[in-house]
Amino acid sequence: MTRNFKLLLGFVVAAAAAHVAAVYTTPHVLMGLAMQRLGGEGGAVNRFAFGDRTTQNSRRVVRPSPDLAYSSCAYDLSGGPIEVSAAPSPNQGYLSISVFAANTDNIGVYDSLRSPQGIRFVLAREGQTVPGGVPVLRSPSAKGIILDRRLAPNAALFAEVDQARRADHCEPIKG
Amino acid sequence: MSDNAKPSRWAWSATIALGLVVGLGSAWWITAKAGARGFENKGWTGSTLAGSSGADPWTRAQIAVRGLLALNKSQAIYLTTHTDSSGAALRADCRYRVSGSAMPGRWWSVTVYAADNYLPMNDDDALSFDATEVTPDASGQWTALLAPKRAGESAWASTRNAGNYDVTLRVYNPTLEAQADFGKIPVPTITKLDCGGAA
Repeated sequence: MTRNFKLLLGFVVAAAAAHVAAVYTTPHVLMGLAMQRLGGEGGAVNRFAFGDRTTQNSRRVVRPSPDLAYSSCAYDLSGGPIEVSAAPSPNQGYLSISVFAANTDNIGVYDSLRSPQGIRFVLAREGQTVPGGVPVLRSPSAKGIILDRRLAPNAALFAEVDQARRADHCEPIKG
Repeated sequence: MSDNAKPSRWAWSATIALGLVVGLGSAWWITAKAGARGFENKGWTGSTLAGSSGADPWTRAQIAVRGLLALNKSQAIYLTTHTDSSGAALRADCRYRVSGSAMPGRWWSVTVYAADNYLPMNDDDALSFDATEVTPDASGQWTALLAPKRAGESAWASTRNAGNYDVTLRVYNPTLEAQADFGKIPVPTITKLDCGGAA
């Protein structure tokens, strides 16, 4: 093997390894940063944080929609499953609860079209024991983010849905 | 130096360092700068795999950078364009008429984003317009304005301080037909009216 070929091979291997590593780790790194930012003060987990109305100053997550009211729950299932519930918005306005795994995949979504009376489900890892009678979503990762989106295109509607979303829960199952 | 000589330690270090830079640079370019991996409909691009567990690593990384926490297509479809209908880049100092028809979903919106993927830094409280703000005519056609200043009573999204911006169409609770084929979505037409404060 010639000297130049060895160097060319080294270059290709280094470039490919760096490229693949960066592509694979980028979603996890950005998701980790988002969990820190959305967890609020102290990086709280397993409880909803209610975002202010989206404005030009909203910089926690890229490309936010100014027409939606966002609430988020950074989850951690290492201590067991959690129960998630969301009350409907006034006038049956659009509401969705979406669950994202640590690699950014949207592993589940519930909305007010299919659940007009409100949303309730248990989020658990594979193999964790869950209570009966409630829909169960299994997460491939212990950590991730749950996002509550509600239609609120103006200040008056934002005030209305803000009141409704305060009944949301994201908490470990007791007992 | 013989062609079969062992590379020096310095040569190896420089080669590996260069490889790492090229590898990281290409990853950054694909995720942050390259055209969206996915579907195009009349200049509007989007990914049918946004939020999907079936996304390949490159698509997943690109969406993480440009649209973290995007919903999958069963819940929302995102289409973005950087250009008007003539193919020219959108400019913050120009006025555009946006024309559209009924969207195949429960609710839709069009939002302006600056090049940094955040909302433009202006306090016009008009960073988007949505289905509740336009006034469709008898045939369902509607118009809105993309411009740095409001003009008239039509729906308006402000491009003030937006720089090299793009706009994203969101269609929530899309129909099954739209989910199956993004090409069936009647994307809005963006027509340049004037530029440079001619209004």
